[in-house]
Amino acid sequence: MVGMMVAVIEVCKMALSFLPNIELTSFWLIMFTLLFGWKVFLVIPVFILIEGCVYGFGLWWAMYLYVWPILVLLAWKFRKEESPWFWSVLSGMFGLFFGLLCCIPYVIIGAADGLRHGLYAGFSWWVSGIPWDIGHCAGNLVLMRVLYRPIRSIMGRLR
Amino acid sequence: MAENKRMDKKVIIGAAVLAAAVVMMAAGFFLFREKPVEGSKAIVIEVVDNEQKTVTYNVKTDAEYLRQAMEEAEGLEFSGAESEYGMMVDTVNGITADYNVNGAYWSFYVNGGYCNYGIDTQPVQDGDTFRIEYTPAQ
Repeated sequence: MVGMMVAVIEVCKMALSFLPNIELTSFWLIMFTLLFGWKVFLVIPVFILIEGCVYGFGLWWAMYLYVWPILVLLAWKFRKEESPWFWSVLSGMFGLFFGLLCCIPYVIIGAADGLRHGLYAGFSWWVSGIPWDIGHCAGNLVLMRVLYRPIRSIMGRLR
Repeated sequence: MAENKRMDKKVIIGAAVLAAAVVMMAAGFFLFREKPVEGSKAIVIEVVDNEQKTVTYNVKTDAEYLRQAMEEAEGLEFSGAESEYGMMVDTVNGITADYNVNGAYWSFYVNGGYCNYGIDTQPVQDGDTFRIEYTPAQ
């Protein structure tokens, strides 16, 4: 089951890799959390490890270590919600603040020259990526709104 | 029924917060992004190769971003892979630093500090000194 979930995420990620910041990883992690509960906590480390093996263990990989678990924890917290719009907004929100979450390593690295330098490095990195974050937000919102009901219905039967 | 109304209210508030956040972030982007300076600029580009030899290029340019200024620097040759973040430089003046092969890479500095952007989005200001340094595996 864990292998299948990771495979679904990876296949969708590769299939959509030509579209910048349009991804189904957020969608699948939310859906897997809602439908398979705690098992998703086994999916995350496997997914993150495979990502590192495929694309290399760069700084972005350190971001993945906490960004995806945050999404899963949020989905877990609100797991009783069933409105497609609720999940669309949450997924969109996650996409919008993805860059803000990811700038933390830049703050830490920059802080080697002082906290002010670290904050400036993180802030300027985040600001330069805001257009991408807005695209990420729109993609997540639309994909969740379109796919939530049909996929939830199919996966409910599989469970 | 009451449950549905509560849910609707929650979603409407969430959507309003999301829309407000998008507007604020867009405004923040236009306010705080690094703005390039247009006009004639005199800059220096130093290349430090794998033998610590430095070649200096004095460039007069109208380039808004570093990549164009590098292209205008006479004698400076560079190449790399194109990505959604712009060119990832791996070869400068015929010397390749391939992180995947030996852990080496080309570091970019502006006025002594690390560049926060790729060469396609690194703004160029009059008087800037850029250093492109071969950095071996740590």
